[in-house]
Amino acid sequence: MNASPLIHCHHLTKHYRKGKQQVTPLQALDLKVPRGEFLALMGPSGSGKTTLLNLIAGIDSPSEGELIIDGQDISQLSRGKLSRWRAQHVGYIFQLYHLIPVLSAYENVELPLLLDSFSGRERRERVELALRLVGLEDRMHHKPKELSGGQEQRVAIARALVADPPLLVADEPTGDLDRDAAASVLQLLQELSREHGKTIVMVTHDPKAAEAADRLLHLEKGKLLESEALPA
Amino acid sequence: MLPFRYAIRNLFRDPMRLLQTLLGSLLVTLLVMGAGAFNQGMTRMLSASGDPLNVILLGAGSEESLQRSEIPDKAAGIAASTIPGIQERAGRSAVSPELHFMGYLQAPDAERVQILLRGVKAEALMVYPELSLLEGRFPRAGELMPGRMAWKSLGIPQEDLKPGMLLEFEGQSFRVSGIFAAPGTVMESEIWADLNDLRTLTQRDSLSGVTLRMQSPDHREVKLFSTRRRNLELSVVPEQEYYAGLAHFYAPIRGMTWVTALLIGVGALAGGLNTLYAAFASRIAELATLQTLGYSRAAILLSLIQEALMACLLGSLLALTLALQFLDGLTVSFSMGSFQLDMSPGVVLAGLLTGLFLGVLGTLPPALRCLVPPLPAALRSAG
Ligand SMILES: Nc1ncnc2c1ncn2[C@@H]1O[C@H](COP(=O)(O)OP(=O)(O)OP(=O)(O)O)[C@@H](O)[C@H]1O
Ligand SMILES: [Mg+2]
Repeated sequence: MNASPLIHCHHLTKHYRKGKQQVTPLQALDLKVPRGEFLALMGPSGSGKTTLLNLIAGIDSPSEGELIIDGQDISQLSRGKLSRWRAQHVGYIFQLYHLIPVLSAYENVELPLLLDSFSGRERRERVELALRLVGLEDRMHHKPKELSGGQEQRVAIARALVADPPLLVADEPTGDLDRDAAASVLQLLQELSREHGKTIVMVTHDPKAAEAADRLLHLEKGKLLESEALPA
Repeated sequence: MLPFRYAIRNLFRDPMRLLQTLLGSLLVTLLVMGAGAFNQGMTRMLSASGDPLNVILLGAGSEESLQRSEIPDKAAGIAASTIPGIQERAGRSAVSPELHFMGYLQAPDAERVQILLRGVKAEALMVYPELSLLEGRFPRAGELMPGRMAWKSLGIPQEDLKPGMLLEFEGQSFRVSGIFAAPGTVMESEIWADLNDLRTLTQRDSLSGVTLRMQSPDHREVKLFSTRRRNLELSVVPEQEYYAGLAHFYAPIRGMTWVTALLIGVGALAGGLNTLYAAFASRIAELATLQTLGYSRAAILLSLIQEALMACLLGSLLALTLALQFLDGLTVSFSMGSFQLDMSPGVVLAGLLTGLFLGVLGTLPPALRCLVPPLPAALRSAG
């Protein structure tokens, strides 16, 4: 395996302007995430967790600092370039799933593949594989509103991984789920990290959820606190 | 590119909004096509009324209206014998002395109406070759010959207009001797009478004008005649120019129809924009999700435009069907006479372009408002 970390943040800073005021949700943050690691991020509300995740996922651009992912500095990419970069490198899992309500589970999972030049057959195989991986091959043709929250989130995970990106980011993926559904989602993420070598960065408020990860970091006022390795 | 089915499914996401868009587009398209067909029909009638071979001699100073023009009775005979190049048949020149008179007529069981009477002699048939008798014969003294569209202005059912019916004029009863057609021209709405008869009734010893049918569209000899015989005080107007002048006279009416269509269209567009703002705003998070997946804003915009275009074009097509069914050929009366709404290919195209225009123009502002904000903010808005 490649020895260089998949994610390398160096003095990463993000400012937002709120009227005349400037807020700085991230302040000169340094972080390395090795390939294949499942990292959990915790911290109080407003500590900058989502901001950090958005930077890592190429949804937002840093104000200062370096952000190297998979050997590429993405901090200077334009909005259009970032968009293409995201399609190949990141799968984003949201707290509220954000499935497209008018499309079936199958069609939702297929969306990322339509950006690439797969043949129709390849696409079908990949979508079916992804849905099988999350245990929903029998719900392929259901619309999101015909699925439970846990099932919706698993479809969202299938959508995030179908294009086989090296990095998955998840913002409170279990925040809206009951205990059982949360457990199955966490188990799935663990599996993706351990068996499929995905690097995962997950934000959570739930210490139980954080236990699923390999490492836990605490964020407070835009800075990382201690680092603790979790028992495997 | 987003799959086309995404646009299609979104179309049916909110049936009320679909209905609203559809009806709005239908209404605006119908208006545009209505205005277009109206103007097309009027222009066509006025241009069809002018023949390049025909020249009108009118009184100098009243070139724009035969009804106001007066020329000496003898002008017709002098013109016929002096001007070279006039068409002839069986020793008679194609010279039609005419009296145009706005008179009050009354059909049985109908209101008294003002209508254009034209007093003519048999030579009129040589000058207007497009004119043909549908029924009956040319009028003699005490008779009238209405054009086939005259029922409109007379305010009677079409089937009542036939030879034998009686019309009241200047306190006397006139028998309809025949009905004539002159497709597409203003003449079809007129009522023709015998020239001498009409002159007696209106107590005029002059003519309104004389129409000549030349062998070629060259009118120089006629102009020369009018300058040589200055004492007759004649003005020479090619028939086409005469009707083009009338078309010009009615330009403000045509302008009004367009302005009305435009105003209502703008109103509908404003209403449509509002609904679309609301519809897209509720989809901000979803549109941001698509961007997160790697779809460009251009691709998403395209899908939104597809969606709106389908609704708008569907409305336009419905409007087109309705227009072809109910508007095309519909007879409209105005002071000059009657004409038929004309759904020409240009009008149909204008209607479809209206749908296209509404779809694209209506989508852009609300779509851009949803696509411009930075992604993190858009994702945070409740989906
Ligand atoms: N687009 C933005 N514009 C202005 N301020 C922002 C923006 N995004 C985040 N912030 C501010 O940055 C700070 C950190 O926000 P962030 O969403 O990263 O917190 P968080 O740790 O994810 O919180 P939570 O646990 O509530 O999700 C907050 O003070 C927030 O108001
Ligand atoms: Mg957050």
